[in-house]
Parts: sequence; C-alpha cells; structure tokens
Amino acid sequence: MKRLFALCLLALSFALAQPREMRLFIWSEYMDPAIIKAFEQKFNLRVRIDLYESNEDMLAKLQAGGVSQYDVIVPGDYIIPTLIQLKLIQPLNHSKIPNLKNLDPKFANPPFDPGNRYSVAYQWGMSGIMYRKDRVPTPTSWSVILGPGADKPFVLMDSIREMLGAALRYQGKSINTRNPAEVRAAGQVLLNAKKNPRFLGFEGGVGAKNRLVAGTATYAVVYNGDALKAADENKNVGFVVPKEGAALFLDNMAIPARAPNPEAAHQFINFILDAKIGAQLSNYNRYATPNKAALPFINPEDRKNPAIYPDAATMQKLEFVLDLGRDTRIYDEVWTAVKSR
Amino acid sequence: MNRLLVWFGELTTPARLYRRGLWFLLPAAIWILGLLVIPGLSLVALSFAERGPYGEVVWNFSLENYRRLLGYGLFGWSPDTILILLRSLWVAFVTTLICIVLAYPLAFFIASRPPRTRYLWLALVIIPFWTNLVIRTYAWQMLLAPDFPFARLAQALGLLAPDSGLYPSPLAVYIGMITAFLPFVVLPLFSSVERLDWSLVEAAQDLYASRIRTFFQAIWPQTLPGLTVGIILTFIPAMGMFVIPDLLGGAKYLLVGNLIQQQFYASRDWPYGAAVSLGLMVLTLIGLAIYRRRGKDVDLV
Amino acid sequence: MRLNPLISSVALATLAFLYLPMLAVAVLSFNKTRYGLQWSGFTWDWYVRLFNNPEILEAARNTFVLALVSTLIATVLGTLFAIALERYPWPRRVQGFLENLLYLPVVTPDIIFAVALVVAFGAFRAVSSLFEPGLFTMILGHVTFQIAFVALTVRSRLKSLGRELDEAARDLYASYGYYVRRVLLPLLTPGIVAGAMLAFTLSLDDFVISFFTAGPTSQTLPLLIYASVRRGVTPEIHALSTLIFLVTVLLVLASERLTRR
Repeated sequence: MKRLFALCLLALSFALAQPREMRLFIWSEYMDPAIIKAFEQKFNLRVRIDLYESNEDMLAKLQAGGVSQYDVIVPGDYIIPTLIQLKLIQPLNHSKIPNLKNLDPKFANPPFDPGNRYSVAYQWGMSGIMYRKDRVPTPTSWSVILGPGADKPFVLMDSIREMLGAALRYQGKSINTRNPAEVRAAGQVLLNAKKNPRFLGFEGGVGAKNRLVAGTATYAVVYNGDALKAADENKNVGFVVPKEGAALFLDNMAIPARAPNPEAAHQFINFILDAKIGAQLSNYNRYATPNKAALPFINPEDRKNPAIYPDAATMQKLEFVLDLGRDTRIYDEVWTAVKSR
Repeated sequence: MNRLLVWFGELTTPARLYRRGLWFLLPAAIWILGLLVIPGLSLVALSFAERGPYGEVVWNFSLENYRRLLGYGLFGWSPDTILILLRSLWVAFVTTLICIVLAYPLAFFIASRPPRTRYLWLALVIIPFWTNLVIRTYAWQMLLAPDFPFARLAQALGLLAPDSGLYPSPLAVYIGMITAFLPFVVLPLFSSVERLDWSLVEAAQDLYASRIRTFFQAIWPQTLPGLTVGIILTFIPAMGMFVIPDLLGGAKYLLVGNLIQQQFYASRDWPYGAAVSLGLMVLTLIGLAIYRRRGKDVDLV
Repeated sequence: MRLNPLISSVALATLAFLYLPMLAVAVLSFNKTRYGLQWSGFTWDWYVRLFNNPEILEAARNTFVLALVSTLIATVLGTLFAIALERYPWPRRVQGFLENLLYLPVVTPDIIFAVALVVAFGAFRAVSSLFEPGLFTMILGHVTFQIAFVALTVRSRLKSLGRELDEAARDLYASYGYYVRRVLLPLLTPGIVAGAMLAFTLSLDDFVISFFTAGPTSQTLPLLIYASVRRGVTPEIHALSTLIFLVTVLLVLASERLTRR
C-alpha cells in the first residue's frame, strides 16, 4: 500500500510539473501545426493547445475559471466587447507587438475594439452553405435549408449569431438588427427548420463539415475555410454563399486577464503577425488574412478565389457581426428558446 | 456522559467513544459537507439571482428563473421547459421498464448456468458496464448512421427517407439509454435470482398455477429487493443523463440534462441553469420518496 | 434449473445487443478510410498513430492518475466513515443525519453535482488559486461521489461481520489500535477492495463531472473522445476506444480472479 501511495505521489508530481509553456485556446482545425513547431523552436517553449467549437463555449470556459488557464485565445469579433465588459481579457502591450504595423488598416482599429487595445485580427472569413456536389446542384438560397421545402439532410451551425444571422438574411433583415420582433421571427424560421425531419442537429463549423464529408449530411452551414480545405481532399463537396447574404467574421487574438504567461502570449501574437507566418497560416487555413504585409505571399489561386476574398458584389451581401451591447440578450434568449424547444 | 458502558467488548464511556468516533467520522463528513452540501446550497442561492446582460451573475433577488421554469419566457407562456422535464421523466421511466423486461431473462439465464461458468457470464454483463459510456454512445452513433445496415434496412422498408440515418432521434436515445443502464438492473437482479427459493415455485406448479401466475406470485416477490436497487440505479441517473441525449438525440430530443448544460455553456445563464437543476433535484427526491413509502429500506450497493 | 429456450434466446440476444456497438467500433478501427463507414481495406495505421499522439497519451496518463489518486483518498475516507457509522453509538438524530449525508452523493444526479461544483469552485477561487480548474479540482469532485460508494460497500461487509470477533479481541486485552490493525481491517479487506474497485471504475467512467471541472492541462480520455465525437470522429478514436475496451476486459477478468479467491 505504501509503495502504491509513493507511486501515486510520483505520478502526481509528474503531472503537476510544468515546463515553460504557452497555452493556446483556439477553434478546432484553425492552426497550422508547422507554425506551432516553428514558434516552439524559436522561443524554446512548449505550446499546449486546447480547442473549442464556438465563441460561446470559449466564453463559458473562461468564465468557469479558464481566465487564468490560457495565454492566447482567438475570439470572434462580436464576443470581444463581452470579454472586455466581463474583464476576461487584458489590454495588449503594443510595444511588444512591433508587427502590429503589418495589419491591413481595414482591420486595424475595429469598431468592437477601438485602437486594438485588447485584440489583434487573426483571420477573417464568412459562413455559407457547404453541399454535396454528387447529390444536389449548387444551391443559391438559404431556402434549401431554412425553407419549408427543404428535403435533404442538413446540419445547422451551433453558433448564435451566425445561425440567427443566416435566418435574418433569409428574411431580408440585417444580421445586426436590434428589433426584437425581427430576431424572434428569425428564431421562428430556425424552429421550423428544427422541426423538419431532415434536420440532423446543431454542430460546430468543423463538426458540420465532417458530417458532410462523411456523407451523413447533404447540406451544412459552415465557415468557408473549413469547406475549402475539405474540398481539396474530396471533390464531391462545394461551398457557396447564398444570394441572400451571410455573416462575415473577423477572429482576433487576445490575452485572458490572468494569463499565466503573458510574455509568451505577446511573442506569439507578434509571431503570427509576421508577414510570412501570416501568409503560411492563411495558405493552410484557406481563410483570408487581415495582414497586409502577408498578401504578397498568399497562394495566387487563393488570392483570386472569391470564396476566400469575395469580390465587391459578394461583399455587398455580407455583413460583419457586430456587438449589440445590452441587446445581445435578445439573441441569447431567442437562441435558448430555439435550442430548448 | 461519564456512565460506563460495554461497547463491542470494550469498557468505556460515551464521551470517550464519541471522541474517538469523531476521528473516523469527520474526514468524510467534512469532505461531503464542503464539496456537496455547500455547493448544493450555493446552487440554491444562485437560482434566485439574475443573469446580467453579458452573461455574468447579478446578485439581485428575483423569482424570474422559477417563472421561466414554469414556462413564462420571451415568447410568452409555452410549455417547453415543463415538457422537457416531463420528457426526462418519461424517458427514465421507459428506459427502466425496458431494462427490467430485458433483465429478467438475462438474470435467469445466468443463474441457470453451472456455477463454474456462471461468473464468466456475469463478467460478460459487467464488461460493457465498465466500458466508458461516451465510447458506447458514440458507437451507437455509428451503428445508426445512414450507411450502416440498420438504417439501410429501414430505408428499404420505407420507414426512413433515403440517405438519412436512424439518429438523431428519440429511438436512438432509448437504445443508448437501454445499453447504458441494462447492467445496472441485471446485476442486482441476478443476486436476488441466485438466492431464489425454488420450493415456492415448485409449490405453485404443484397447485397448477399458470406460468404467468407462478411468475407473479412465486418469483416476482422474491426478486423485489434486487429489482428495487436496479430501478433506483437506473431511474435516477437516467433522468439527469446528458451524454446520451446529447450525442444520440441531438437537438431533436432534448432532456433536462442538456438544458442544464446549455445554460452553463452556450447561454451562460447560470442562475436559470441552477433553477432547472433544482427542478430536477425535486423530481429525483419525489421519485425516491415514492419508493421509500413502499416500505423497504433500500440498500443501494 | 431448466430454462425455456425462448428465455435463453432472449437473454443471448440481449447480450449480443450489449456487445454490438463495441464490435462495430473494433472493426472500423482497422478500416483504411478516414471519413465515413465504407470498408476500404485493412490497416494497423490508426493504432500506430495513436501511440505517436502526445495528446492522447497525456489524456491516458491524466485519466489514470485521476482515478488512482481519487480512489486512494476515497477508500481511506469511505472506510473510516463506514466504521464510524457502524461501530459507534451515535444519538439517533446524528445517525439519521449521517445516513442522509451518505446517500446524498448516490442520489444526486451527476449533472447537478457537476454544476454545483462549478459554482462552488468559482467562489472558492476567490480565496485560493488552488481551485483553478485542473486535476486537483477533478480529484476533489471524484472523491466526493466515490466516498459514498466505498462506505456503502464496506458497511455491508461490517454488518455481516457481527460483533463476536470484536468482543473476543477486546476480551483478550487487545488495544484499540491493535484491534483495528490486526482484527478489523483484515476482516474488512474484501469489502475495502471491492469498494475501491467500484470507486476506481466509477472514476474511469465519469464524464459529466470531469466535463465541468477540467482545465486545459487535465484532459481525460472520455473528454477527449467526446470532443472528437462533436468534431467528427476519426478512426484514431475507434482505435483508442477498442484499446480501452480491451483493457476493461482484462481488468474485469483480473478482478474476477481477485474477488473469487
């Protein structure tokens, strides 16, 4: 018994002994492992990665104690004001991020975080419909999923603003409406879709993509980069932005308020903002880069791909999801009602 | 307190006994008080608080969460939450019932094996019960996927639209639940069946009782102790189950466990989540009270 | 005892029903394709990858450390608690309170216990950084529900012992310490071992409490598998599950050997 106990203590101390490390909390399939390796080698530390599937899950984890567990998080645009309000992220030290100058002026100084006090852009993209080319023609409208006649198995995205945003666009409304009636109507659209026998469930973007690649679903609401990466491996899948429009997102890097290793966090953010690394990331992820200095290093085909860098006409239909302050609550409550009914 | 008494052969006083007993008692009692009772009480307190606009907890006393529990929400009154609670009760009930029906043949089958192999058969029941629940549940996800023979068969029979699967669906939830809880009924039931007094059964047969009557009057009462344990071990966890409906029911068959998880994750409405949890706890305690009333002091292990 | 063939076949079918899922997972763990369920050839590849995946290895280590440490603590506390309940003449009220305390972790649904811990740890964290989500908080949670199961198992053994041996020991002038060490504990050993094994498996099997109390450094296998399932299962997870299943079979057979002796 004594020996067993000693063994236990040993195992415990082994588990508790931590080498110098930086902990990254990021969306799944959103980081090139080669970049992590390069960073580890350059700064001689270990990167530990933990994954999430939606902004809301990430936020919930931070609230439940994660605020002192992670060094870098990658929150979406609209969730950042909430993070700031709840004091879950700390102001950045700009002197430690010289590569900040590489940022495209379009993405520097964003409305949700004036002056980049708390966050720096990471990647941007859009949501849309991924579909099986071998089963259905290219869809043009959200109606293949949200319409009453939807008759192919489909997966919805488990993300409040993107999914309600899609329903709002489908009804010709703005993604950022503050009108409770409009949001409620969008919730009703989702409720109807939920009642459809071909509805398979809510999944994170990556989960939805995998369900489609595996053939369980014919349509799925996903982010463009995930879909394009999958399309490289499987010729039977395609991605499209419906004619009604969809949500744009800008993901950002931020440092939790009580991060254990803020020094490494700043180094990491600066590393990602490097021109070549930024391009490597986008070439891997197939999302658009907000890094102006990185643009010359992006694969030329990707640069021309309207599904990554949409043309002016498509851009007209796309909307960034904005933080709505106190009105966010309308979305939260409608979403809870949609999910629990 | 200073009177002498003989306790298990030891001449001592109550005061000395208590003092020594406290050393045995306190570590576990403090542990459970500190990590179960106090957290439970803080959950009660939380259920009267409010969710702030950003998902933080605001300590304003309010009964709003309980109003929502009763169905008064953003869309006006709707029976959603009550429906979820009732559905959880119903799922737990059906699961328990089917488990019992399946457990009897299995328990008798194992008891009828020669003693030498009996424990091997028993081990066969224990193994799935020891295998992690998440694994067993996701395995059903695959078995019920559209490409698998079961779904193909259902599609061919016209029970299912082509290229769709058998999950997410209520059926999938029931299947998952039954595989998860069956061993919990079989094991205690077996211990009762093993000790069955067969002379009663023979007597019943001698008196020309029908098979059904023999079962219900000679066998059933004798297996009640094991069955009671099995029912409690199934019914209570089944009601609060969250993994199985999450993976097999998806958004289609939400149970109260999922509702609670949702409040603590995506919706970040801890106070409401606390109120729903207390609703579930009340249901659980009612269930137990009904059982207690039936008289038996239940031995759970 | 003679059994109706119908009953036997129902019983065998039920057993098959319990094993079907594991069989499917095992078969698919040798399948070559990454996505979907079409069979496209045999491979050991997923198993090889499994052992080269540091994340999975770390999760396996965490799972094991968590189960071992929490079982040890719970076994000690639970055994003491059982002795206190059975061998001391507590006043009626106290006894009733203790009984309720004992059954509380058994009857509380995991999910309620888990969210209560989230709330409480949140408050405790204001006092000490010990309660940051991680292996420590998970151990606290696991021990709490394990204590009850250990205590219940040991207690039923205590009940069946009777008091003759105790009295004989004391009549022969055994001191209390000597009596506990040389008489009581050896007699209780089968109960303690059974309780500890139950506690160990409960910890290995736990998902819900870990899900709510884990931190980034304390991923366990069930959490890892759940996360991969949400993301879309890879064959690596099939391989991992098959291995866990095989380990379980070995554990059950070993414990069967142990307890039968």
